[in-house]
Amino acid sequence: MSTLEQVTGAIAGAVVVAALVAGALALAVTRRPLTALGVLLDLLVAAGLLRLAGDPDWRAVLGAAVVVTVRQVAGAGLRTAQRARSGGPRRGRRPPGRRRPRAWAPELHRLLRPAWRA
Amino acid sequence: MEELLAEVVGILVVVVEACGAAVIAVGAVWAFARFVWVGLTRRTSAAFVPVRLTLGRFLALGLEFQLASDILTTAVAPTFEEIAKLAAIATIRTALNYFLGREIEEERRQVAEQEGDRHTDPAQRRTGRTA
Repeated sequence: MSTLEQVTGAIAGAVVVAALVAGALALAVTRRPLTALGVLLDLLVAAGLLRLAGDPDWRAVLGAAVVVTVRQVAGAGLRTAQRARSGGPRRGRRPPGRRRPRAWAPELHRLLRPAWRA
Repeated sequence: MEELLAEVVGILVVVVEACGAAVIAVGAVWAFARFVWVGLTRRTSAAFVPVRLTLGRFLALGLEFQLASDILTTAVAPTFEEIAKLAAIATIRTALNYFLGREIEEERRQVAEQEGDRHTDPAQRRTGRTA
């Protein structure tokens, strides 16, 4: 095990402890499990990325992949819950008469009519 | 010549990887301190959001360094298992970097909208018109 791996491993352990403390504090203060989960997962992702430094084994790679996936799923859940609480429009259900904004339209226009042709 | 290249690349990989790890570690420590401070003083759920955003920026920056080191490692990856491991790590890092970028952009847009609402004249807000 190289020095870099030893150092990052030790820091990653400390960050995991910090994640647990910060998550518990966020839960105690806000009484919102979703906020606490977000705080916990953000710091756990940082710990997972630190463990990936150097030459990690497959277990570390798998662990980081699981944490990142859980973070994404929890993030999607957080956003859905927030939208449901605020009473905003749900994804996929647009008010009548409003068209979907085309994110690709400016890019397509730039490709078809580049600046040098203007 | 090949050994020299492998040695130089090996040193560069360690240096760049250490830079990425340092950025992530500093971001995590800073975010933890801010989480504790915000939790003890402001006690609202919204107060945690800017800290999470800044931690996301630190992570994204650290990931850029680590992806750079992954690219450097591809110059010297002798065994098939090492290449497979490298591909898995690069995939995780790239996916996380992409999602972090999207989240930061979305949060920034929401903050800008909230700022715009705050600066809008209350009379205009009542009538639903803006200048």
